[in-house]
This record gives sequence, C-alpha cells and structure tokens, in this order.
Amino acid sequence: MSSAILNLSWEQRRKLTGLLFVTPTVAFVMVFFIVPLIMTVYMSFHDWPLFGERAFTGLENYQELSNDRQYRKSLDFTFRYTVLVTPPIFILGFILASLVRRNIPYIGIFRTIFFLPVVIGLGVSSLLWVWMLDDRIGVFNKILLDFNLVPKAQLFLGRPNTAMNVVILSVVWKTVGFTMILLLAGLQAIPDELYESAEVDGAGYFRKLVYITLPLMRRFIALALILSVIGSVLSFDQFYIMTRGGPRNSTISIVYWIFNNSFTYFKMGYGAAMSIVLLGILVALTGAQLYVLREKE
Amino acid sequence: MSSRKALFLVLAIALVLGSLPVTAQDDQINMTMWVRSIPFQTQALVDEWNANNDSQVELTVIPSGEFVTKMGAAIAAGEPPDIASIDLIYTPAFAAAGQLVDITEYVRALPYADDLTPAHMELGMYEGRNYAVPTGVDGSFIIYNIDLFEQAGLDPDNPPSTWDEMLEAARAINALGDDIYGYWFSMGCSGCNAFTFLPFIWASGGDVLSDDYSEATITSDPIVREALEFYNTIWEEGLVPEGASIDDGSNFVSAFAGGNIGMSGTGNFAIAGYTTDHPDLNFGVFHIPGKDGGAASFGGGDVIAIASGTEHVDEAWRFIEWTMSEEAQIEIYAANGQIPVRLELVDNKYFEGDERQKTAASALAVGHTPYTTVYNDLFNDPNGPWLEMLQVAILDGDIDGALELGQERFTQIMEG
Repeated sequence: MSSAILNLSWEQRRKLTGLLFVTPTVAFVMVFFIVPLIMTVYMSFHDWPLFGERAFTGLENYQELSNDRQYRKSLDFTFRYTVLVTPPIFILGFILASLVRRNIPYIGIFRTIFFLPVVIGLGVSSLLWVWMLDDRIGVFNKILLDFNLVPKAQLFLGRPNTAMNVVILSVVWKTVGFTMILLLAGLQAIPDELYESAEVDGAGYFRKLVYITLPLMRRFIALALILSVIGSVLSFDQFYIMTRGGPRNSTISIVYWIFNNSFTYFKMGYGAAMSIVLLGILVALTGAQLYVLREKE
Repeated sequence: MSSRKALFLVLAIALVLGSLPVTAQDDQINMTMWVRSIPFQTQALVDEWNANNDSQVELTVIPSGEFVTKMGAAIAAGEPPDIASIDLIYTPAFAAAGQLVDITEYVRALPYADDLTPAHMELGMYEGRNYAVPTGVDGSFIIYNIDLFEQAGLDPDNPPSTWDEMLEAARAINALGDDIYGYWFSMGCSGCNAFTFLPFIWASGGDVLSDDYSEATITSDPIVREALEFYNTIWEEGLVPEGASIDDGSNFVSAFAGGNIGMSGTGNFAIAGYTTDHPDLNFGVFHIPGKDGGAASFGGGDVIAIASGTEHVDEAWRFIEWTMSEEAQIEIYAANGQIPVRLELVDNKYFEGDERQKTAASALAVGHTPYTTVYNDLFNDPNGPWLEMLQVAILDGDIDGALELGQERFTQIMEG
C-alpha cells in the first residue's frame, strides 16, 4: 500500500492530497444535504404516511398544492413577515455597526451587549418573550400600566395585528447583533484614507455614506441581506412557540405548515413536496438578491 | 495465517461464545413498554409486576406531544415496543394501519369484559375486532368553587343542571368582585375544549359528527350553534378572565386553583393535584349538563395494546390482564386516586366518602369519544378546524362564519 503511493508521480500525489483534503467536506455535504435532498424529492412523489403503506402518486402532491388554501395563506404570510422584518434588522444593524465601529476604549462592552441575544437559541428567546409579554406577570404590561399608557393589561399575542408586531420586535432584538457584526466587518474593511480624502473634497456624512461606505460594503450587505431573508423565509420557532400559529391561524409560516403536514397530519410526502417548492423559491430569491447586489464593473 | 492472527481469531470466537449463554439460554422474557407522559400510575404498575414476575417490563415515558411520531418512527424502523399505552383517540389510526395485535380472543375470555369503560372499549375496536383495552381512564366534568357559590347566594348542594342555570350561577359569582370570575375556559387549547366543550353538545342530544362518523354535522345540527352561542354569551358578558381567550392550556388546571374562578371544565387528573397542593380549595364537581338537562362526558385517557411484531404476545397479554385485575385496580389505581378501568370497582374502600371522586368516576358511564382516524387533525391540532371554529364563534361572535368554516374544513379533512 505505502509503496503504491511512493510510485505515484508528483502530479498524481498532488491530486490525491487535494482529494483527501476535500473528502470530509464532501462526505458532510453528501450525508447532510445531498442524500436528504434526494430522499425528499423521492418522498414528494409518494403518498407517505408515518406508518402504513406507501404508494407512488406521481405529481399528485404538487397538484394538491394548488387546492391548499392554507399553503397560499402561509406563503403570503411568510412573504409579508419577511418584507416587514428585514428592513428593521438591516437598518438597526447598520446603525449599531456604525456606532461601535471605532476602536475606542470599552467599545467591546457595547459590541458584546448588542451581540449577546444572538448566542441564545431562537426557541429560548421566544419563550423569554412569551413571558415578558404575558398579561399578568409580563414586564411590558407592568411598564405600560405603571405609566398609565394603557387602561388594562394587553394581550399582545392574542390579536392578529399585535401578534405579528411583537414577534417582529422579538426577532429584531434576537438577530440584529448578527447583522451588526457582519456589517461591522465591512465597515472596518474600508480604509480611513478614503474618508479623509473625501472630507478634503468637502463631502458631508451622506455623500460619504452613498459614495464610499455603501458601494464598498456591497458584498457584506449582500451577505447580511441574504442570510436575513433566508432566515425569515424559513421562520418557524418564533411562531410555533410565541403564537402557536394563532390567533385564528393568522401566523402560520410556510415552514410551520410543512411541519404540521409532515408531523401532525403525517402527510410526509405532501410535506416533502412543499419543501421542494420552498427550496425553489429560496433559490430564486437568493439568485435575485445576488444579481441586484452583484459587483458592477 | 500468522500465529498472531490465529490467536486473535481464537480469542474473538471465545468472546462470542462466552457471551452467548447469557442471552440464548436465559428464559427470562424482557418486554418494552411505552407510555406517554401522563399522570397515571404506570410506573407503579410496572414496578409491582417486575417485583413479582419472571418476565420484566421496561418502561419508557415519551413526552405526550411526541408519542405518535416516535411510535410511528419506531414502527417504520421495525423496532416498536412490545406493549404500548396509547392515547385512546389514536387507537383507530394505529389499528387501521395494522400496527396492533388482534386481541379479540383474549378479551372475550375476560369475565368482566362488559364492565370495562365503554368509550375506551369502543375506541379499542377496529372493524369489529379488539385491539386495545382501557388502562388509564378519565372523563370530563365541571368543577365548582363551593365558597364562591355560598358567597354568591347559590346552593352548592344543588349545582347547575342546565345551561341557563350555569349562566345564572356564573353571573352571580362574577358580581362578587372585579377579580372574581364565574367561569374558565382555555380558548387557545384545542384538546381542552374537545374534552370539556363537546360534552355540552352531546348532553343536549347533538354532535359535530354523524352517528357513523362519516361526515360533519356542524351546520346541520342546530345544537352546535346553540352551544357556541352559550359559550359566546359567557365571553361577551365577561364571565371569564380576558387571558382565558389565549390560554394554550397552560392554565387549564391552575386557573381554578387560584380560588377566584367559579366553575371550570376539567377531569379527574386535576383533582389529586387540587387536594394535595391546595388543601384550602373547597370544591365540588358536577356532570357537564345539556341545554335543558342530561349529562355527558368526554371519555379520555389511554388504552393499552400489543404492538405487531412482538415475540411475546402471550406474556404481554398476561401483563395487561394483570393490570386490569381487582388487586391492581384497587391497590394501585384507586389507592392513588386514579379511576379504575372496571366500572364495578368504582365503589371501593378508597373512594368511599368522597363524592367528588365518585362523580368523576361516574362521568365515565356517560363517557363518549369521537371514533375517527383523523381525530388529531380535526380536534387536537392547535391549528385545526375545531379550535378555529370555537375562536371565531365564541371570541369574535361570528357564529355563522364559524359554522361554515368548521363544516368546510371538517369535511375537507374527513374526505382526505
């Protein structure tokens, strides 16, 4: 065996070494992405109950999508949620990144505070918010009542309009630190000399922002937006825990609906078909974002 | 083969042979049993059995919400438990999928077969054959606060027996103070309301499903509308705390323990907790009434079954039969405040003198459970049609819209 390797040419050994280096990654992607993806595609062409007989049904699951009112409702809801939650995360993340950009003493404390919510799980943070929003023991109602801002305790999660807003508030709090860190890296990659020479030319804050900061941060902005949009389209935990899809089923995101079909109604094949369609939507969305934010020569 | 390799081979063979007698020659039967996390005396049963029998049962407790998924996955993987204690509403689905052993002949041989709780026996049947017997039984009823009844000038010895009487009692108690409410329901909890609201409809002679469970009767049965109007009145008049409208069941039991709630639907599972944790709580129970009288109850709890694929059918049945024996039913069930699965054993030395326990147990005689393989999708799913219909009707007051919506979504699910 060992002598076989020694007999290889330098070129062949180089190729073999490269192969060895990528093998773990390839194996990882195969086991955790490619194989499940192929299985999901396979399942989506079947009537696949949790137990009992499986049957090949061709495109039936995909055809059923067009009759599924909740599927369209969920798509619509997820899209609205994404449109509403992305700007505050991005803008607030950008403002925070600008605030903590300079390396002045103790700035690390603020960066840590802003980033801290990111390291707790979304499930944990959702539970935390459920308690903070509670009508009897929650801190928000306590503050509002103490300052006489509301006549009685509010059921934030009990009304369709406020339920969505407080979920957005909780998610912004939870994820803005991550966007901040991404944008901070972008901000710090811009050489100070560019700003200095712009100032010599008489550029104010907004001219510097529009002509220097934003164009040079294009890649970081693209990354932050893509990750944020993907996260929002795939949202599940916050609605499963905070609203349980309610009130009146008004906050069932698309992944929530896939979960329900697969693991509550045990229509695994149908859930798989929806997942494949969602994958297509995500690929298209990400492609569009990459196109818009591409480096223009 | 080198001498070293030969030595390894010999050692390996010795190792395998050495371990064999322990498994192959031992007659002891080891069975696995799964139960969902509910406050029944399953662990005590298993401990008692293991202490007195050669065969051993190993109990695994699965979180209630994950039981069906885990069981399904285990079946799919070819490794189901030998014995399973299943939420009775899922039994038809498991039996229909051929996952349970037909125990009809064993059941026929039981001298007390006719005395087992009827709702559980019915749910344990599929196409005329028995697949499960009751193991943990509970029926729904109304619990009421005797102190509040007295303060409101109501007679606690004559609790309400019609909807109007319930409304009057709730109004009288509500008038006692700002923080005192006549009633409690958990309107964000689908299962709680299947358990405690459906019986109002049944007791009035109505139902949301046809007698053969083949279609929804939400729009065609006038009682459904009247029951929704009854609960809508309770909500509109502020006879329940506002927070009840979004309670997902977290306060289903604890709300009444606060002492400021007049009446609440509940089950026997709550009584033990109230008596031990809240000894000052002075409460009584009465059957869930129909519009003009009558009584009904939701037969809930678990049935016990043998999973297909086990090698120990006879021994598993021996265990199951023992759990229904008088000895186990009295000394393990009743002694711990749990209702026996045999109705004749409800009159026992442990329940003597406690009318609450007797009323709770007798609720099972009027116990009823919907028989449908899509029970979960219809009633239990927090995003299902049952809860949405209740919320739209009771909280939003849109009874017509709720009935239409309920009928349409029920039909859609039942037609597959």
